[in-house]
Amino acid sequence: MTTLTRRGALGGTAAALAALSAGAPRPTFAAGGQCTVGTWGGDYQDLLIANIDTPLIKPQGIEVLYDVAVAPPRKTKLIAERASRRGSMDVACLSDVDMFEMAQLNLFETIDATRVPNTANVVPALAKPYAIPHIYSGQVILYNPDKVSAPPKSYADLWDPRYRNRVGFADGLYLQVFSSAALVGGGSMSNFEPGKAKLKELRELGARVYPSNEALAVALKGEEVWLTIMWLARGFMWKKGGINITHAVPVEGAQPIVFDMAVPKNARNKDAAYAWLNASLDPKAQVAFADKMGYVNTVTNATLPPELQAQIGFTPEQQANFRKPDYEYIAKNNSQLLDWWNREFKG
Amino acid sequence: MERTPSLAALVLPATLLVCAVMVAPMLLLFRYSLNLYSPTELMIEAISPANYLRALTDSYYHEIMLTTLRVAMLCTLISLICAFPPAYVLARMQGGWKSWLTILTLFPLLVGNVVRAAGWMALLGNTGLVNTALRGAGVTEEPVRLLYTEGAVVAGIVAVVMPYMILTLASVIESIPRNVEEAAANLGARPWRVFRHVVLPLALPGVAAGSALVFILCMNAYATPVLLGGPQFKMMAPAVYDQFVRSTNWPFGAALAFILLAVTLTLTLVGSATLQRRYRR
Repeated sequence: MTTLTRRGALGGTAAALAALSAGAPRPTFAAGGQCTVGTWGGDYQDLLIANIDTPLIKPQGIEVLYDVAVAPPRKTKLIAERASRRGSMDVACLSDVDMFEMAQLNLFETIDATRVPNTANVVPALAKPYAIPHIYSGQVILYNPDKVSAPPKSYADLWDPRYRNRVGFADGLYLQVFSSAALVGGGSMSNFEPGKAKLKELRELGARVYPSNEALAVALKGEEVWLTIMWLARGFMWKKGGINITHAVPVEGAQPIVFDMAVPKNARNKDAAYAWLNASLDPKAQVAFADKMGYVNTVTNATLPPELQAQIGFTPEQQANFRKPDYEYIAKNNSQLLDWWNREFKG
Repeated sequence: MERTPSLAALVLPATLLVCAVMVAPMLLLFRYSLNLYSPTELMIEAISPANYLRALTDSYYHEIMLTTLRVAMLCTLISLICAFPPAYVLARMQGGWKSWLTILTLFPLLVGNVVRAAGWMALLGNTGLVNTALRGAGVTEEPVRLLYTEGAVVAGIVAVVMPYMILTLASVIESIPRNVEEAAANLGARPWRVFRHVVLPLALPGVAAGSALVFILCMNAYATPVLLGGPQFKMMAPAVYDQFVRSTNWPFGAALAFILLAVTLTLTLVGSATLQRRYRR
């Protein structure tokens, strides 16, 4: 009788596996098979699935996987993997400011327009070589119309002593709060330093910082906070969610925020990634993001219904008055500005 | 005849695994901590103590370290005091109930820290259960600030570490023969005296082990301080995370991580050694 030894069993299993892997088709990691998208979760991911993945990518035989996280860990992952030949993401979604910081580290492919034909329709002011602009909105003042009787006109209105203890911000928007304070204090988008003194004043006036956008939303709903600085799109969603707020575009100019998508240099499925980028610029998909999340389209061949445009869009005059971020200044100063924010404003 | 492998050979696979997944990344991180930060290139290769000097001389980081130590010690003490009675009961229990109670003690560990913190937020928030109840009962008009305070963090961490303390203490108390307590009682010692002079000294190794385990967990707490402490409250682990993830300053983050490691290790060793010495006496 033959006895089965452990060694024999292991050897046999190994041989069987080798035989199987030689004969069977290999798992489809090759281009065209899969596309891993590094993205935010929640509504954003749901809309990606409903408007890009299902109608436009799946029919091309591409399976999409989602690497869900907020932006800072995604940036860290991109940096940590920079020396690796095979990265974990094929597409990375980030805000324009973060995207520039990562592009500086030479992490992304230069977009090949021939592989993303829809880039021909991109609003020229939003185009950049290392990423495609997916959606955009602008930074405005959100306020509770029942509590704030005179609609604010300028960021400076947040310093009005009448609103002592009633101004609140989300911690993640420190750069935006900083730039607004800088504009009020005589600085510019390329010099946030004058904002420091203004922020100290605001702190004296009892301004609060909340750990997340969601926590800020709860504070707005509970009328603990009456005024804040936020993306208009976020305000649109909160309003739809039943929070009593409205918005004002400050005279200093709204600051645009663009959410970009890029292909890391070490992406494993670049063809699939380019197919994804192209689908993201599809006019129908763009309109769906505007309707559900309040972000404005970045392509010229998508048209929003006029009433939606009125709620989430910016007039040509407002657009001309946009205060664009100085990416280089922010990338150079982010660390010290965050340090100051943590110590002096929050501390 | 079968050859018995030497003891060293038995330890080898685990040692190799630990070296590969723990020691090597830590060495790499230590190397990073000596580099210099650059906003455009991430970091500049160097052998410089600058990051350590900055962390050690900056009063902001002193304060964060003091907060971390205060919270960790307080949580360790509270959990020790609160865990001893249930641990004693659990250790002295016989029969089927004992395994049920052990499972119940372990039960909170089945829920992640973040989920548990979310529960605390629902309880302690301005529109949370406690404040709604207080306002409903007419005790207060304005909501009492419970969330985003040091108290909330301490409560949250104690709830996280309690099972570790109870189980460590119970396993040591179990090994104390019941008859030594009975002997003391027979000689006229009251329960408190039996506890102070018999149970507690014999349970000191458990106190040392449980406190060390819990202290280390508290020093490195991340999710609870972030979620229950809010943006104004800072402990070391969130500060390390901030440097890596939000400031992209890896060298300084690495230096902070090693300082946290060194302080935790030193205090744990000193604490355990002190307790062991008392035990021997």
